[in-house]
Amino acid sequence: MNKPYNNKAWLGVLPVLLIVAFSGVIPLMTVVNYSVQDILDFNSRFFVGFQWYTDTLQDPRFIDAFLRQLGFSASVLLLEIPLGLMLARGMPRQGLAASLLLVLLAIPLLIPWNVVGTIWQLFARSDIGLLGVSLNALGFSFNYTANPTHAWLTLLAMDIWHWTSLVTLLAFAGLTSVPPAYYQAAELDGASKWQVFRYVELPRLKGVLVIAVLLRLMDSFMIYTEPFVLTGGGPGNATTFLSQHLATMAVGQFDLGPAAAFSVIYFLFILLFCWIFYSSVMRNND
Amino acid sequence: MALIELQELTFRYPGAAADTLTPVSLSVADSAAFALLGASGAGKTTLLNLLSGLLRPTSGRILFNGEDVSTWAGRQRNVAQVFQFPVLYESMNVADNLAFPLRARKFQAAAIKQRVEVIASELNITDQLGHKASQLSLFQKQLIAIGRALVRPDVSVVLLDEPLTAVEPKMKWRLRRTLRRVQEELGVTMIYVTHDQTEALTFADQVAVMGDGKVLQVDTPERIYNRPLHEFVGYFIGSPGMNFVPSEQLHSSLSLVPGTKRIGFRPEWATLHAQNSAHINGRVTAQQLQGTDGGGLVGVQRLATEAGDLAVRGNLQAQVGQTVGVRLEQYLCFSQQGQLLVTPHE
Repeated sequence: MNKPYNNKAWLGVLPVLLIVAFSGVIPLMTVVNYSVQDILDFNSRFFVGFQWYTDTLQDPRFIDAFLRQLGFSASVLLLEIPLGLMLARGMPRQGLAASLLLVLLAIPLLIPWNVVGTIWQLFARSDIGLLGVSLNALGFSFNYTANPTHAWLTLLAMDIWHWTSLVTLLAFAGLTSVPPAYYQAAELDGASKWQVFRYVELPRLKGVLVIAVLLRLMDSFMIYTEPFVLTGGGPGNATTFLSQHLATMAVGQFDLGPAAAFSVIYFLFILLFCWIFYSSVMRNND
Repeated sequence: MALIELQELTFRYPGAAADTLTPVSLSVADSAAFALLGASGAGKTTLLNLLSGLLRPTSGRILFNGEDVSTWAGRQRNVAQVFQFPVLYESMNVADNLAFPLRARKFQAAAIKQRVEVIASELNITDQLGHKASQLSLFQKQLIAIGRALVRPDVSVVLLDEPLTAVEPKMKWRLRRTLRRVQEELGVTMIYVTHDQTEALTFADQVAVMGDGKVLQVDTPERIYNRPLHEFVGYFIGSPGMNFVPSEQLHSSLSLVPGTKRIGFRPEWATLHAQNSAHINGRVTAQQLQGTDGGGLVGVQRLATEAGDLAVRGNLQAQVGQTVGVRLEQYLCFSQQGQLLVTPHE
């Protein structure tokens, strides 16, 4: 068999390669380059090998921030995915009410992230915020600026408020793809509500749920703006997550080498988690 | 298995100006193979949804074995349905799909296993029990869906909503034959909804022809064909359908029931002759060959006559363009409203 070869086709890929190179590969390689050097100033730098990597992985501040990050992402996923699913299942499938709800749900997604942080920063304040004052008036001594647990709960509440809509919208789109005959068949078969969810809806929601989990996993793992505005990482370091720790190192202390090593490790972890999740879900898929 | 009775059933969709079903009364015998035949918009899907409990009748009653189930939910009625396209639990394998209605109704594990095996062997799908439902062909999926509808031994009625629509044409006859055999062997009451007269007339012992929200005739396939009670039924059934000729257009010599406005005859009830002995004269406009009979060609001949276009089935001895006479060997008389009048032959 003679396959026609047309190497001019490669020229067609060139624009994409250039864009990806400038947007992704070159910046990433710059970071990789920094991560193996000790940069004292722009004129004096020297190669240190993997020292920054070993240092970072042994740094207790990194490990703490990493564990906090894991806890935060896990909580966010465990709360937002089921909540989003429940909301989507409870929504009417069509009509005016459905359209209105979709618009309402989209609103938190449209607000700039630092505004979300500011809204909750004010909302939860124990001196003037509606939530903080109400809780205190009800007898709970609530102060998220002083109490780490309160800071965490406020942060989680904010993230749920901000992002559950995304899960709901994706799940809603998945649910509308279930033909009515499937519900009718399940009804006649005498299926329970749980069985309808498990065997009729869930198989058809799988695709959108994978996307929802991946998006929320990556996003929550990279969260920066909202905790920066809401708690500034405090009290103490209670809500300092990886990105904020990184920003402090790179911008605050100008430790470019260690910050670059940190970035590469950070990037690889996100990649790893997404890959583990995606491949484990897709392996069961036939 | 149950005797199904519809009493003066009407239905109007909320906000609609007119009834989708005007009073419908029907009785489907226990263990019968029953077909609901009608063009789209005749109300047959609405009737099916009323039977399955998806809709509630506006008035009238639905009785299963004498018990009024009109307001019962679908799951309480103990009915099963096969849909236009295969509806399966795609994440399960074939065996679990078949077992699902029994499991949902808390049958004993041993009874479930035994019943699944019975149904699988009945449908010749025993070798597929371990396959995943999503991997099967459309034909096999629909077969599994039929199996799931039949699996409950106590099911009152199995509703089939155009079950052959999604199946490829050469598989249709196989599935239809399987359905018919299983219906007889298991003695299940089946109501088969279709717009396809071949499906209805070959599947069912009793056919109800629906038109415009009404049941026009309930009868055996033979009588539906030979003695349509309404012009619409005669025209709708048969390919080509029944010919209708205004009675004043006839050259006398036919005995008509008083009040006859039109007479109807099947294409094969007429023969072509010389003009002087005919009831209607016309010109052959087209011929459609359908086979041979004793060396001669047979088929359908289309004629343009003073009484309108007609179709006559038989020997193709005339030429296209030739002027011929049509002799009616058998015919039915219909009133102004299109109702059948008792024929002089009977």
